[in-house]
Amino acid sequence: MSASWKKVGNEARLLLIGIPVLLWTLVPVYHLFLFAISERDSATSGRLWPKHPTLQNFEIVFQQKHFYLNHFWLQMFNSLVIALAVGAITLFVATTAAFAISRLKVRGGRTVMNIALFTYFIPAAFLAVPMYKTMSIYGLLNNQWSLILAMVTIASPYCIWVLKQASDKLPWELDEAARMDGAGPLQLFRLVYLPLMVPSLVAVGTYSLLLAWNEYLYAFLLLSNDTDVTLAVALGHFLAADDSPWELLMATGLIYALPPAAIYYAFKRYMVSGLTAGAVKS
Amino acid sequence: MASVSFQNIQKAYGRVKVIHGIEFTINDGEFVVLVGPSGCGKSTLLRMLAGLEEISGGQILIDGTVVNELESKDRDIAMVFQSYALYPHMTVRENMGFSLRLRKADAATTAERVAGAARILNLDALLDRYPRELSGGQRQRVAMGRAIVRDPKVFLFDEPLSNLDAKLRVAMRAEIKALHQRLKTTTVYVTHDQIEAMTMADRIVVMHDGIVEQIGTPLELFDRPGNLFVAQFIGSPAMNVFKGTAQGGTLQALGASWPLPPGVAVGAGRELHYGIRPTDLRLAAEGGIPAKVVVVEPTGAETELLVDVGGQRLVVVMHGRTAARPDDTVQLQLDGAKAHVFDAAGGQRL
Repeated sequence: MSASWKKVGNEARLLLIGIPVLLWTLVPVYHLFLFAISERDSATSGRLWPKHPTLQNFEIVFQQKHFYLNHFWLQMFNSLVIALAVGAITLFVATTAAFAISRLKVRGGRTVMNIALFTYFIPAAFLAVPMYKTMSIYGLLNNQWSLILAMVTIASPYCIWVLKQASDKLPWELDEAARMDGAGPLQLFRLVYLPLMVPSLVAVGTYSLLLAWNEYLYAFLLLSNDTDVTLAVALGHFLAADDSPWELLMATGLIYALPPAAIYYAFKRYMVSGLTAGAVKS
Repeated sequence: MASVSFQNIQKAYGRVKVIHGIEFTINDGEFVVLVGPSGCGKSTLLRMLAGLEEISGGQILIDGTVVNELESKDRDIAMVFQSYALYPHMTVRENMGFSLRLRKADAATTAERVAGAARILNLDALLDRYPRELSGGQRQRVAMGRAIVRDPKVFLFDEPLSNLDAKLRVAMRAEIKALHQRLKTTTVYVTHDQIEAMTMADRIVVMHDGIVEQIGTPLELFDRPGNLFVAQFIGSPAMNVFKGTAQGGTLQALGASWPLPPGVAVGAGRELHYGIRPTDLRLAAEGGIPAKVVVVEPTGAETELLVDVGGQRLVVVMHGRTAARPDDTVQLQLDGAKAHVFDAAGGQRL
């Protein structure tokens, strides 16, 4: 009897914490959704459900029938290309670095990794201006490569660290067995290391992809042409007007939020195991 | 097949020396076991031979060729690891064929050699399974199969049976031995288990603190241990050893008189270590050395007794059974020719 009461007590406490957290998380998203399906006039009425819910806003967005949305599809495409490029390049840089540091035990590898991690002591916002300056020196301003390179720079240290921790957990004997079987470093990397790292690679790839997809500040600074910017920057432009079309902003935002949600949902199994791998020393 | 020769091999990690000049030769086709307590340097020596560990001094020769600077893969040796080290993402077939794949052997040769090794090791039915779907003994066999497929000059085994349960260990011991008799490939086998060493080896190398204590056939080591360490390490239960003083043809110790082996001439009054194997002590009706029984452990065919002589605990192993009970007094008899005596200072055999 007392045991079951204790269980009820525990459940109740969990609910007491869980319900506020759930509301806290969902209320903004619900507002986003509410705006997106409201008509222009009633968007800010404060109702919990619009009188005449409509999908008209989405139609406007998809058909680019508004001044701010003239390049919607192109900007969406820019976001996609940049995010994919950042994901791919970060994955390449981080995997090779982690392999070299963790498995080949390259001299000074750990120091390089620690120095890279050290950059996180400085908020990315402070580095925006130096980054802008650097990109201008290389003549990359207004070129999407500038944003891709900047995001790779920001994502890599964390990704290297996560992958290094995960690689440290692979048994060392596997490398030795492969060496005795006749594998050189590249064969070891391709035939043994990569297949065993797949969960962590998916996690790290997704992380950097989403980081780039959601980035606003650097994209805003480094790119200026309407045809070059990502959708995140385009969304920011909505706020330049005195009477912003909130319902369109929210509809676009909702569309913009869907791919990350889908990616996260698809890979969440890897995200949880991959990103926490190496969080604690086991 | 090949001979392996260690010439004044040394290993140091920074300033800490762990192997101090090891020198011996393994003949073609021989099964040699390196045995010793943990930390004695036996695994390090094996890893140096495998090319997984740098050689700090001396030379290792395989078939008369110095291999110090050769990469592991160019030494033509195969190793079975304690943890098996199977590639988790490959099937048994792929695991066994991996080395051939890296050597770009054609598919037909690979398939044939994998099938051949699988037949020898009874793995035919498991070729398409993944390592995680195998039992410990099966994994061990796959690890051996991976080595056999290579048809190397030398097989190396690094404590291959330590992860198996006792029963399986005995079975695998016989399997490895049978495999060696069939393939006749030079084999170096590392273990800390002296029974494994005794049962499997053509010759045993006993190591301790980075040096070789003694090299010999299992029975040589058992019958004539060269020093106190080997005497106490080889044999189970371990040899009884105690200190005493020589006097005439006997040794005075534990309040009794123990016969010295014939042919051992030591001056009266010299301090000695006296060793006698538990199986060389007998219980007699009378006229022996009185001992008080502490524990009686019948194991069926044999009975192990722990007895007390003058405050020293001795182990006696006798065939058959005994009526002796704890606290009884029994008489111990022994043959002086079966005794071993060692210098009290250096521990060398006299």
